[in-house]
Amino acid sequence: MINNDTALMAHLLRRAGFGASRDELEQYLAMGYDGAVEALLNPSHPSNMPDDLIRRYHVEQSELRDLPGSAAYWMYRMISTSCPMEEKTALFWHGLFATGYAKLNQARSLLNQVEMFRRSGLGSFEDLLVDLSKDPAMIVWLDNNENHGDAINENYGRELLELFSMGIGNYSEDDIKECARAFTGWTLGNAEYMSIRAAKDSIWPYGRIAWHFDYREEDHDDGEKTFLGETGRFNGEDIIAIIVKQESTARFVATRLFQFFAADEINEAGEKTVQDMMATYFSSGYQVRDMLRTLFHSDYFKSEEARFARVKGPVEMVVGAIRMAGNYQNPALGIEKVSNTMLYMGQGLLQPPTVEGWHEGEEWIDSGALVERVNFVAKELSDVRSPGVRSIIDRLAASADQGVLDPADLADGCLDLLGPIEVSDETRSVLVEYASRQGDLDLSGHQPGDEAEQRVGNMLRLVAATREYQLA
Amino acid sequence: MSTQTKSPSIALDYVKTIGIVNNGFNGRGFANPYDIVVDDNGRIFVLNRCDPLRAAAIRVGICDLDEEYLGEFGKGNGTGDGQFIWVVAMALDSQDRLHITDEHSHRVTTYSTSGEYLSHWGKAGSADGELNGPAGIAVDSSGDLFIVDQHNSRVQKFTVDGKFISNWGSFGGGDGQFNLPWGAAVDADDNVYVADWRNDRIQKFDNDGKFLAAFGSSGDGEGQFMRPTSVAVDSEGFIYVADWGNERVQVLGPDGSFQLILKGEATISKWSEDYFASNPEEKAERDISNLVPELPAHLNTPYHISSQTEPYFWGPVSVSLDGKGRLYVTETNRHRFQVYQKR
Repeated sequence: MINNDTALMAHLLRRAGFGASRDELEQYLAMGYDGAVEALLNPSHPSNMPDDLIRRYHVEQSELRDLPGSAAYWMYRMISTSCPMEEKTALFWHGLFATGYAKLNQARSLLNQVEMFRRSGLGSFEDLLVDLSKDPAMIVWLDNNENHGDAINENYGRELLELFSMGIGNYSEDDIKECARAFTGWTLGNAEYMSIRAAKDSIWPYGRIAWHFDYREEDHDDGEKTFLGETGRFNGEDIIAIIVKQESTARFVATRLFQFFAADEINEAGEKTVQDMMATYFSSGYQVRDMLRTLFHSDYFKSEEARFARVKGPVEMVVGAIRMAGNYQNPALGIEKVSNTMLYMGQGLLQPPTVEGWHEGEEWIDSGALVERVNFVAKELSDVRSPGVRSIIDRLAASADQGVLDPADLADGCLDLLGPIEVSDETRSVLVEYASRQGDLDLSGHQPGDEAEQRVGNMLRLVAATREYQLA
Repeated sequence: MSTQTKSPSIALDYVKTIGIVNNGFNGRGFANPYDIVVDDNGRIFVLNRCDPLRAAAIRVGICDLDEEYLGEFGKGNGTGDGQFIWVVAMALDSQDRLHITDEHSHRVTTYSTSGEYLSHWGKAGSADGELNGPAGIAVDSSGDLFIVDQHNSRVQKFTVDGKFISNWGSFGGGDGQFNLPWGAAVDADDNVYVADWRNDRIQKFDNDGKFLAAFGSSGDGEGQFMRPTSVAVDSEGFIYVADWGNERVQVLGPDGSFQLILKGEATISKWSEDYFASNPEEKAERDISNLVPELPAHLNTPYHISSQTEPYFWGPVSVSLDGKGRLYVTETNRHRFQVYQKR
């Protein structure tokens, strides 16, 4: 029988992080649920693999000229961070404000955008939209460098309203034009030269030159504008101040947060939580952190129906498995191949398919992606040399009566230590039947890599292949 | 541009920049260069580490100060004869042999300067003579090799053929201790200098490993370092340090006193001129751009500044000297090196 406190904490850590090893889970359990929520939402003293080590050994992650090394760089951060919520939040905004490498050919600036999500992603949504509008990667991604005072380009203005805040149906075509006018002059330094380099994918003569924001007052349309019924000589910040006041914006932000951090589908109970998050949005002055606090403390989030109500995204899947196995704690060849694996599963970091981001939920799973998912996790978790797997083996051995586990104990123990994961009776019976083929497991005196340990690895591999493991 | 805040007894003048990105094994240009040595004939040997996507092009490129590309050699990526995985540094002995360290395969590979593979040696481990991540390498006047054995936190001395002679060092921050050391150099008196990377200092030893001095502390002030990667010492005892984490080069006096800072002032190389001649529209926009911009506060770190400021050093991993008072600063992130002349 799974302890409910443990199951709830594991649920929280799957949503506000990438799952947790038993050691991590116990650290958070010691804080209590409320303390854990605060620790996750207010990370202090974050630690992760230091940049100097990464740069020393990975020239490609120092220069960040190309996509594979750049995605791997972020992977290291996710794998090694002591503040998983920070990375999960950055991943959320990366999916929502989806900006891709292909058009930019400028990974350093794309990673600077991710760093901005870490810095601003849990604060005021108003500030976040201002930072987003000044982000050079976004400016090039949606052509705001082509948005001039005497010739507007509506692309950013349109997506700001449609995909990044209010949602379609809540504004007019005129509002889009007025919005675009307000963002004229918001560009990047050396915009013309950088545009040519981006378009040509030029790395010459001396590699990439990263980008920074530049405001060109002479290119800004300072005239009067009417936007969502308000009139003034609006600049970009004024437009954002109007956007964030809208009910539709509150619903948009609350809904997207709910779907990423709680459940793919919003049922009646979920709708109540979304409305509570909207209320928090206004009462807190648009604070994302407060909205998430409301979510994590909601009856819905704590209920059993919210558990395993999301399909794990490929990044969650891969990072979660590596963190559980305890691998890649130091720079090592091969990390770029791991980031490619996520791409094969349908979610390449820094390369969302369109500005709409990824289609999530059940769309993560097709036959090809499923094979990739199962194969990757099975390989990670069945390697009994990995420190995290060794820890699981040690815990199983310590829990066993004189080191001996019967088949049910072995299956239940692995399910517990990988989550706990709640599985159907049918799934459990398959796992137990598999374990029964070799009878009881004697882990007394086990040695690294011996046959007894390998049986644990095989059971972990089988758990990775279950339907339930695909869910968060 | 060099910053000189005290009355220096050394001055360096910028000479030129040599390089352009070249991902392949196909002529002029570099791919993440990591070290340079210059022979008595003025041939400049550039060790290209390459990133994993271009690992097949790990190579030594050869050019001269007139930017003539003279050739290149290597046998690609792997652990076969003459192959490399993660090359770090290079030393030239008196018999025109290049000794190249590989921190991934834990060995030293020797080529002739004409590009002929000669041998390799090195066994992974921590016993005397075994290596764990060989990094910096230097030759003394007797022809013996000093190799920075980074993960074993020590320096090992070998004959030029790889026979173990002695070693010293342990992990830590005390005198004679190391934390992931990287570069090495030998001065005119055969003293040994080590860039003690994660201790942010340079340590000086005599030829037998007796600790003599340590220079520097953590920081970005004058005489302070942030992860120094490489050290070189000229005939007058001036100490040149690749202050990698601060994206700069510092020069110290023989006694370790601060002399000057170089930030880099790269110009268009001859090979780059060829590129722009074929891409005039890119050159036209470049010419009216400000390549030394003011940056917002959140990007105001040495790394970010250098990532956006093309003339500055970015990833200065190595400092090398020739016999004519010239300093060569290898910039791995910019695929080039900048040359300075001592007055």
